[in-house]
Amino acid sequence: MDDMTFRVPKPPIRFLSTVRPPSFGGRLHDARTATVVGRWLGAAFGVCLLTGLVSHYLQHPPVWLADRLPARPVWGYRLTQGLHVAVGIAALVLLPVKLWAVYPRLFVWPPVRSVRHALERLSIAVLVATAVFQVVTGLLNIVEWYPWSFSFVPVHFAVAWVVAGSILLHVAVKAPEIRAHWSGRSSGTRALPAEDVADRRSLLLAVGGAVGVVTLTTVGQSVTPLKALDLLAPRSPDHGPQGLPVNRTAAAAGVSADGLARWRLEVVGPQTYVLGLGELRTMAAAQARLPIACVEGWSVDADWGGVRVRDLVERAGGRPGRDALRVTSLEARGAYRVMEMGAEYVDDPLTLLALTLNGQRLSLDHGFPARIIAPNRPGVLQTKWVHRLEVL
Amino acid sequence: MSPSQVLRYAVGGLGVGLIGLGAWLVTAEPAPGAVLVWLAGALVVHDGVLAPLVLAVGLLIAGRPGRGLWRGALVIAGSVVLVTLPLLLRPGPPPNPSALPLPYGRNLAIVLAAVATGAGLLHLARLWRRRSQRRVGTDG
Repeated sequence: MDDMTFRVPKPPIRFLSTVRPPSFGGRLHDARTATVVGRWLGAAFGVCLLTGLVSHYLQHPPVWLADRLPARPVWGYRLTQGLHVAVGIAALVLLPVKLWAVYPRLFVWPPVRSVRHALERLSIAVLVATAVFQVVTGLLNIVEWYPWSFSFVPVHFAVAWVVAGSILLHVAVKAPEIRAHWSGRSSGTRALPAEDVADRRSLLLAVGGAVGVVTLTTVGQSVTPLKALDLLAPRSPDHGPQGLPVNRTAAAAGVSADGLARWRLEVVGPQTYVLGLGELRTMAAAQARLPIACVEGWSVDADWGGVRVRDLVERAGGRPGRDALRVTSLEARGAYRVMEMGAEYVDDPLTLLALTLNGQRLSLDHGFPARIIAPNRPGVLQTKWVHRLEVL
Repeated sequence: MSPSQVLRYAVGGLGVGLIGLGAWLVTAEPAPGAVLVWLAGALVVHDGVLAPLVLAVGLLIAGRPGRGLWRGALVIAGSVVLVTLPLLLRPGPPPNPSALPLPYGRNLAIVLAAVATGAGLLHLARLWRRRSQRRVGTDG
């Protein structure tokens, strides 16, 4: 190792000669441990980036993509966003272990050897700062705790690119070391003390166990069959009005029962019409079993009853399969008061203007009198308290 | 340059490009200064608080017999605590009645007790196996 042959230069100031970085006598702070845990962590960040991009473009599609977003599979967003949060939680366990393995390198002496070395250390600082930032802000977001002054979604999106770039740069810089420690028989691995092999296996087993325990005790919020083990997740499938969690209550959205007394649905198109709740109920013959899948990772299946959106659009003279739809909620405030839905969703027979949930009339918190439910879409786009549909 | 060298530089170059893209997106935000403060804070809290804390706990069990088992129990318990902390520390009432609905303090205690029990049972199983092996050794 080049670190070994480098002689510490005489410090120019006397007192600095007594300042020395801490030394580390412990085992396993080596490149093999870093390579193995780093592989898992790299895969975790990769999954989080891809699923995060899926979520981002489902919510903010560019114009050319909006009408092509697929309404199937029904469980698509449930899977990708459930993975995003579950794998993010796993990364919260893996990241400190990876950094523990390489922590002694924070104190290499001298701190900077060359311009190249300085740049490399700077890139590591960026990697550590952004990786810790991403998992911590993500974790705080799923408990809806925002102790910062910036806006979570665009910043989490922006920093994700810095993490991804830093990981690629790190892999490129460390490529020879990674290759030398890739397997148990690689040259670098064999040069490490043989008595560490069993100890390392025991540590990696523990890390796998830790990932398993945090996953099993939280993933029940998205994988309903595991709900009995859901002890530490921010959501629980059974907790909520009508057996379904809510992200935004009527009170939070500024919707009251009094304000709905004269509710009418307006469908705007080539042949605009208006429907009362009674008329809508007589039309409501469609059923769909679809999940509410929230951006915060939780998801629950439910039985919805109502009117097919494509039927409402057709009656207004719209062309399902070709026209998009703008949906407006009665809510007084909120970034998702007006929602647009691409042609594929409008055309899908499972996309409903729902009036019932699990056989009961929608409660006010679930969007009474009418809400949108569509397959393969983020929960924030399942607009509640709908009063206007506009064929685009 | 060999093909693998070319690939290595291409991956590194792509990385620098993505860092630039992300940095540009951050500066386009209304409060980039606050983001920088949180990024620096993440680095300082990890390197200055969390990592030394983990190393200090590691010193407590260093050199003990059966260290791997206790280390495993501590890694699992520490991970569970880390994931649960925001649920326990979040100030104010839950954002709505269906959010944060579980008794998290009690549930954390249950999980930690299960981890401790599991580690204790494994420890006993090892002691018992070692003793029976020794007996087999002396008998034979």
